[in-house]
Amino acid sequence: MDETVAEFFKRTILKIPMTEMMTILKAWDFLSEKQLQNVNFQQRKESLVQDLVLLCEKRASVHDAALLDIVYTQFHRHRKVWDVFQMSKGPGEDIDLFDMEQFKSSFKKILQRALKNVMVSFRDAEENAVWIRIAWGTQYRKPNQYKPVYVVYYSQTPYAFTSSCPLRSNIPLLGQALTVASNHHKIVKMDLRSRYLDSLKAIVFKQYNQTFETYNSTTPLQEKSLELDIHMDSRIIHENRIEKERVQRVTQETFGDYSQPRLEFAQYKLETKFKSDFNGDILAERKEPLRCLIKFSSPHLLEALKSLAPAGIADAPLSPLLTCIPNKGMNYFKIKDK
Amino acid sequence: MEWANDGKSKGGVLAHLERLEIQVNRSHKNLEDPQRAQAVEHALRTKIHKLRCLRDELRSKVKRRQARVRASIANEEPDQTQEISEQEVAERRRRQENVKAILQAYRFTGLSGKLTSRGVCVCISTAFEGNLLDSYFIDLVLQKPLWIHHHSIPIFIPLEEISAKYLQTNIQRFLFCLCEYLNAYAGRKYQADRLQSDFAAYLARPLQRNPLCNLLSFTYKVKLRGQLFLFCARLLYKDLTTTLPTDVTITYPETDALPPSWEEQRASHENLFFTKPLHQVFTSFARKGEKLDVTRV
Repeated sequence: MDETVAEFFKRTILKIPMTEMMTILKAWDFLSEKQLQNVNFQQRKESLVQDLVLLCEKRASVHDAALLDIVYTQFHRHRKVWDVFQMSKGPGEDIDLFDMEQFKSSFKKILQRALKNVMVSFRDAEENAVWIRIAWGTQYRKPNQYKPVYVVYYSQTPYAFTSSCPLRSNIPLLGQALTVASNHHKIVKMDLRSRYLDSLKAIVFKQYNQTFETYNSTTPLQEKSLELDIHMDSRIIHENRIEKERVQRVTQETFGDYSQPRLEFAQYKLETKFKSDFNGDILAERKEPLRCLIKFSSPHLLEALKSLAPAGIADAPLSPLLTCIPNKGMNYFKIKDK
Repeated sequence: MEWANDGKSKGGVLAHLERLEIQVNRSHKNLEDPQRAQAVEHALRTKIHKLRCLRDELRSKVKRRQARVRASIANEEPDQTQEISEQEVAERRRRQENVKAILQAYRFTGLSGKLTSRGVCVCISTAFEGNLLDSYFIDLVLQKPLWIHHHSIPIFIPLEEISAKYLQTNIQRFLFCLCEYLNAYAGRKYQADRLQSDFAAYLARPLQRNPLCNLLSFTYKVKLRGQLFLFCARLLYKDLTTTLPTDVTITYPETDALPPSWEEQRASHENLFFTKPLHQVFTSFARKGEKLDVTRV
């Protein structure tokens, strides 16, 4: 095996935490059960890695290493920040007869025709998705395996999710390859970004609310009320019971009973004229719009927003600029004066 | 007494004397019959007493009767009311379960719904060849304009297109069109699933399919007169509202030409795939006694 490939293997295996080593190697499906059984997983990590690299050396190629890298990234998808792209077809186009093999070969060909040194790897995933790993090279340099771009494409949908690309100049090419290979016309980057790939998918596929009222539900819809809280201790009197119930109702109508998709931030870029009540205020006299950036950050932004009104920190209903995030599929906003 | 008015007082002195006389007579009378007055008083007193006793008696009588009546009612009714309640409750429960069951059974019609606080939640239950398959939901908000609150329709079904065409103008058409697409998808999916699970032995390599199940590609084994051949089939379903393919291509993967008898087979197979659901074609292969050697080619 080439030294660089061996190094690539070593670095990839080293990334894997010991607790996940067996799971990831099994998912990789390259080493047989027997081979894995013969490996001592109780030893120190450095020696384990050496043993594994020796095992792979015999018949593994750089492509197998790339596949292992994909498996690792699938297990640690939250380590990347994902952007969302939306494609569209031209009007009156034919029915999408999507052929996965055709897509893969077409995608690869487009990239390889444009760039001399590029390595593309594919791994099929659940729900008709395909994970694509692209290692970019230049005309004179081999592909850099340590700065790959990942694309997750859900077939027969207009959506693709990409990890942030270090080489921004390659993004248009990537977009073109995706569009042409999947029989689409145009591609547009959405104003939506997060580490949580599954939440992004839930938002754009509109799958975050899957509770429906039917006569067949085994669990009857329970009306959430403040009754439980109020009756917990009879010595406590709630003075604002009516208002509290109103806030609860409004929050439930806006956010529903389901768990919110996970986002880490929402960003609002304002370019609006300053509005002031005071006459003769210096800022109000400015003709140019004021530029201002507001960023809300949270480990779980939407759950945090949902708890604002019940906690008494904000009025209910919240501003539609905050509540429209999952519905519009945006967490980057540009607000200008109309 | 006014002696002063001689002519003006009534009758004068004589009249006055008369008046005095009458007064005296009256007081004499009272003095004369004290017993009589007393007797009258006594009689009245006894009468009052008697009446009071009668009143008390009647009162107690009424009270006793009321008590008796109440007791009798209390004795009779407890059994009766208990019976009625138990019966009624059981009857009510039976009726409720019945109605609930009917409402739940509406699912089997394929299109059912439940009113919600803001509109209606429609349930589309798909089926193919008498098999009940997945159900899909659309929660509609009944406002002007009508809009979809949330749904469970797969992303690759053209819901947006169908809504744009029919949702505002003809909700019936909207729902029927959606039913068509979903049932056809469910049917195609069912056929592909059946092929993969029940006829895996006939496939030389795994079935290739896409999310909509409108492109299926597989290589299957055919045996005739002791010879084993592989056919590559490619089925296209260009009409998303049907469960039968619109394009069928069967090719022979080997480079050598196919013997003429086999050409017939190939053509007949193509025809079969056009006309029958996928899994039924393979069932007929199995039945025709084209028994295949399940060992790998």
